[in-house]
Amino acid sequence: MPAVLTVDPRSGVPIYLQIIEQVKRSVALGVLQAGEQLPTVKQLALDLTVNPNTVARAYRELERDSVIETSPGRGSFVRGNGVATSARAAASDVARDVLNAALREVKSVGLTRGDVRELVDAALDRWFPEEQ
Amino acid sequence: MSTIEISHLRKTYGPYAAVDDLSLGVDSGTVFGLLGPNGAGKTTTFKCMLGLARATAGSVTYDGKPLVPQTFERIAYVPERSVLYEWMTVAEHVEMNRRAFTKFDAARAGELLTAFQIDPRKKARALSKGMRTAVMVAVAFARNADLLILDEPTSGLDPVNQRHVLSLMINEAARGCTIIFSSHQIGQVERAAEQIAVIDKGRLVLKGAVDDLKADRKIVEGILPDANAALNGIADDPRILRADRAERIVRLLVNRDADGVATLLGSAGAAGVRVVDLNLEDIFLYAVSPADATADVVAKETAR
Repeated sequence: MPAVLTVDPRSGVPIYLQIIEQVKRSVALGVLQAGEQLPTVKQLALDLTVNPNTVARAYRELERDSVIETSPGRGSFVRGNGVATSARAAASDVARDVLNAALREVKSVGLTRGDVRELVDAALDRWFPEEQ
Repeated sequence: MSTIEISHLRKTYGPYAAVDDLSLGVDSGTVFGLLGPNGAGKTTTFKCMLGLARATAGSVTYDGKPLVPQTFERIAYVPERSVLYEWMTVAEHVEMNRRAFTKFDAARAGELLTAFQIDPRKKARALSKGMRTAVMVAVAFARNADLLILDEPTSGLDPVNQRHVLSLMINEAARGCTIIFSSHQIGQVERAAEQIAVIDKGRLVLKGAVDDLKADRKIVEGILPDANAALNGIADDPRILRADRAERIVRLLVNRDADGVATLLGSAGAAGVRVVDLNLEDIFLYAVSPADATADVVAKETAR
C-alpha cells in the first residue's frame, strides 16, 4: 500500500478510528484499489509507531464493514465487490458527522426548522446546480 | 505469558503512603501505560511488583502466582535510575546478563547498542544520562522476556532515540510480549499504549483503553442566557463527571454520550453548544487536577 496513512496520536480522535477513516477515504478516492494488499498489522504498527492491537482493531472493523478481507496466512486485501458500496458509505459517514455538528450549532443559536430548510435549500442550489 | 494482577497494593514509608490501595490488572500481550505526576507512586509500584520493595499490604501475582526467583527469567526491567556499575564497560554488562539469563541474545544486544551508537568498550562512568538509559534498554530488549517493565525508558534520550525505543516496544508487543511502562511523554503513551492507568498520590484515579477514553470523554461547552441561569439537574447527570462554570460559560466533562449531553445543555437554554475532543494529555490533566477553585465548579470524579 502506498504510504497514504498517517495518524495524529495527539488528536482527540481514537487512533483506530483515524486508521479506519483513512483506509475508507483511500478506497473512496481510488488510492486503494480492489484486490490491493494492505500491510500486515505489525508492519503498519511499526510504520505508524502505534500499538499493534490498535491496528488489529481497525482491521477487524474494516473487515466487519466489508471494506477489506483477511485470509489467514495471505494477509488483508481491499475487497473487490465491496469497494463501490464502502466508498459511498464512507462518504455518507463523513457527511452525516459534519451535518449533525452543523445542525446542533444552528439549533443552539435559536434557528427554527423552517430557517434551516431555507439555508439548506440555498446551499444545495449552490453546490448541486445541475440537479435543480 | 503473564497476566499480572496487582491487588490492594499499599506501600508506606513512615506516615507517608507512596502507594495506597492500588488494584490493577494487566492482560497478557497488552502494552500498559502508567501515568502520574512526579511522586505519584509509579516507581514504587514497579519496585513492589519486582520485589525490590516490600509491600506493606496487598499482593502482586503473575498468572495467579506470587513472584518467585524463576519469574525473573521472564521479566526484564529498565529502572528509572541507572543501575550500571560505574567501573564496568558496556560490553561487560552485556556479558554479565548473558551469563545470568538463559534466553539472553548477546548478538541482539550488540545490534541494539550499535543502533543507539554506543561504544561497548566505554565504561559506564563515561556515559551520559541518555546513553545509560539506552544501555539498559538494549540489555532489557535482548532478554527475550515475556514481560517488560520499563520505568521512563526514554528518559534523557534525544527524539530520534526516543522514537527508536517506541519502535522496539511495538516490535516486542507484536510478538506478544506484555509491556508495562511509565513515561512523562504523554505522546509516547498515546502511541504505544493500549491501556492506561493514571495514579495520583498513590491512588488509582483513572484506567481504561486509550482509544475508548478518547471516544467517550469529551467536553460539552455552551453559553448560558445569563450568569445566574440554573443548571437544573445537569450537574447530577451520571454522564457528567465535572461541571466547570465561569460566568455564562459552562464546560462539562462527560464520560459517555456527549451528543446526548449537548442536547440536554441546549434544552437548558444554552447557546453555542459544542462538543470538544480530548487528547490523552487533556484526559490526564483532568484526572489529576483538582477542580478550578476560581470557578463555580462541581467536581464529581473520584476513583472508579
